[in-house]
Amino acid sequence: MKMLVVFEKMGAHRFLGHLDLQRAMQRALRRSGLPVTYSQGFNPHLQLSFAAPLSVGIQGEREIMEVPLSETISEADFLAKLNDTLPQNMKAKAAVLQEDKVAPAMARMAAATYVLRPDEHFEQLMAAVPGFLSQERIPFMKRGKAGIREEDLRPLIYNLMAKGDTLVTVLATSSKGTARADLLFTSLCEFAGIAPPRCLITRTALLDERFVPLEGA
Amino acid sequence: MQARLEALLETVQKPSRYTGGEVNEIKKDWAGKTTCCFAFPDTYEVAMSHLGMKVLYESINAQEDLLCERVMMPWTDMIEGLKEQGIPLYSLESRRALSAFDMVGFTLQYEMSYTDILKMLELGGIALHNKDRDENAPFVIAGGPCAFNPEPLAPFIDAFLLGDGEHATNEMLRAIGAGRKAGKNRAAILRDLAQIEGVYVPDLYEATYHEDGRLAAFTPLDKSAPLPVKKRIELDLNEAPFPTSIPVPYTQAVHDRIVLEIMRGCTRGCRFCQAGMLYRPVRERSPEQLFALAEQLVAATGYEEMSLSSLSTGDYSQLLELIKGLNERFCDQRVSLSLPSLRIDNQLQEALVDTAQVKKSGLTLAPEAGTQRLRDVINKGVTEGDLLRTVSEAFASGWNNVKLYFMIGLPYETDEDLLGIADLARKVVNCYYAIPKGQRARGLKVVVSASTFVPKPMTPFQWAAQDTLEEIRRKQALLRSALNIKGVTFNWHDPETSFLEACFARGDRRLAKVLYRAYELGCLLDGWNEHFKYDAWMQAFTDTGLDPAFYANRERDKDELMPWDLADIGVTKKYLWRENERARNAEVTPDCRLGCEGCGLTRFEGVCRG
Repeated sequence: MKMLVVFEKMGAHRFLGHLDLQRAMQRALRRSGLPVTYSQGFNPHLQLSFAAPLSVGIQGEREIMEVPLSETISEADFLAKLNDTLPQNMKAKAAVLQEDKVAPAMARMAAATYVLRPDEHFEQLMAAVPGFLSQERIPFMKRGKAGIREEDLRPLIYNLMAKGDTLVTVLATSSKGTARADLLFTSLCEFAGIAPPRCLITRTALLDERFVPLEGA
Repeated sequence: MQARLEALLETVQKPSRYTGGEVNEIKKDWAGKTTCCFAFPDTYEVAMSHLGMKVLYESINAQEDLLCERVMMPWTDMIEGLKEQGIPLYSLESRRALSAFDMVGFTLQYEMSYTDILKMLELGGIALHNKDRDENAPFVIAGGPCAFNPEPLAPFIDAFLLGDGEHATNEMLRAIGAGRKAGKNRAAILRDLAQIEGVYVPDLYEATYHEDGRLAAFTPLDKSAPLPVKKRIELDLNEAPFPTSIPVPYTQAVHDRIVLEIMRGCTRGCRFCQAGMLYRPVRERSPEQLFALAEQLVAATGYEEMSLSSLSTGDYSQLLELIKGLNERFCDQRVSLSLPSLRIDNQLQEALVDTAQVKKSGLTLAPEAGTQRLRDVINKGVTEGDLLRTVSEAFASGWNNVKLYFMIGLPYETDEDLLGIADLARKVVNCYYAIPKGQRARGLKVVVSASTFVPKPMTPFQWAAQDTLEEIRRKQALLRSALNIKGVTFNWHDPETSFLEACFARGDRRLAKVLYRAYELGCLLDGWNEHFKYDAWMQAFTDTGLDPAFYANRERDKDELMPWDLADIGVTKKYLWRENERARNAEVTPDCRLGCEGCGLTRFEGVCRG
């Protein structure tokens, strides 16, 4: 069995790179005494996988990791023991026990929801949204293995709308294509003709191809 | 200010250096407490590798009336950001400016961190010179190995602690707290601090100089000022506090693991080694206590690696029992054990077999010198036979990675000794090929590192001249060509840093002017190659009219008054001179556990039975 864990990466933890987060989670799991598994070899490491790394600077409300188990444990026990040792702003919010045969979260992932909270120019940005989305192509430069090349952001944006004083967007996040929320924001600012203000970005959900959260509805 | 700081953190590299909030961070309420900020004059990653900080952090915070927070040297991007935003350098825990604490305590681990101290004081809103601090300013304290020659920092530091800090730091904090409560002024509190064993208050003394620059006299200005200042000693490590729960950094520290201090002090008497002279007598923690500490630390941190710390781990009297016990306890939890700086002359093979059960890390050996004669000069009691036997055993049991540490520029060194390094490296390579192909790990890697020798105060080589930069470069070039051997990598460093270290290690009070000038010229983070500004340092010497060669490259007379003679570390100058004479004759001095060599420590009552 494996445990799918929903956790937050909020506040100052948004500054942690993926490797830092991975180490922090591995150490928390070790402290918790939960029945985890280790790789073989001279440098055994605790087995753990994340659905999607989060860019440094972006918060996550419902991030997802999967922990293979050496013995079955109840979801409630798992959650309680892990939260006993996780730091503030990195708490686990849900745990779902799964058969090993369930496809990894990373493979099921298709999209993610983000909330963008700019410090200023909100009205202008909100007004620019319809025009921004009506563009046929939104070119951006992507650095890949083969160097820098131009790609189209438009088909990767599934939704973008204003909600309260924030912008909410659903972006493609899969092996077929991924749109970065910070890139979307700078593109939108450019379209609106303003210098990008400071903007706090929060990833709020990781979705499968039916746009259902990976942890289940 | 919080909002400006949040915005700033988004723009700097590795923000988690500046946020605190680690697992096991200790946050205490400030009401009614005497407050201390432990200041580490290097980056977060270096600081969080330092055991001493963790010891004092937990032991001070265990006291109800005291509180300890942490601060480190920010990287240049953060320094600029703090200045632009008008945010003072703050503690990780409560994010208060350094100026808000009763005491700010720096640890002096290496000389090249001194400019960082000045920068941190500036950023923290504290006057750089102790004379300019008002009644509300924190007391700026410094301890650690370099505090044994405190003079180059004398004008900037209010009080130094010489020796073990576990109890002395609490006493200093309480003297400050009680003094402030009683309405005493700064000068009166400083006199109180000088009464604590191990404390040196530089303003209570005066240094005068001969015309040629040598120290002429060193005199107390106040009857409350002891001379010499006797170092502080924790007699029983089992009674001394040791942390059971340490903050676990998010960003990777240089040494990111649990460190168990198994022993303090060393009786081998290597003549180049300052720690070996400073930290006598030898004191061990019991295996039982270490097992208990390790269990608490593993449970509290989740660390996957543990190392043993001491000056000479191979000399720990119950080493095998300790290693076996740790492996038994933590093997299932996949906690690996690494053994640093093992001497290569005892019990190693069995220990090696044991650690291999969990993890195969590299083998690091420090013969220090290339020939037996020079190893006898420096009293490093290791023979070529010992070394080759050890590496052969290691190669046979699957190791393929050996690091060999040497020093160049040692007193009485000849070119033959340097070529001996290459000779030894070649023999190590041959040991590997002597193991049949199927039985050895593939891909031999021998790394030979040669550091530049820095004569240190309170060692038998305190009188010695350091080789000039030109001579060191010549020796490095000689070694480079001699070490052109397949499978061997040679590491060396530009000698300029070692030259400056030599100046400050044996510096006097006047060098403070050079330090201040270098700080004005923008020197900081000098331990980092990309920031080290050698030309600015030389400019600082020129501007202040002092000659670096006087400090680094001058051989001293037997009876010269040394700036660090103000401290009594237990070991006497007479003993050090005798060892210097023996070095000249390549005469070894046995480990004093085999018989007292009369180093002088028995003068301290109850410290060493002789």
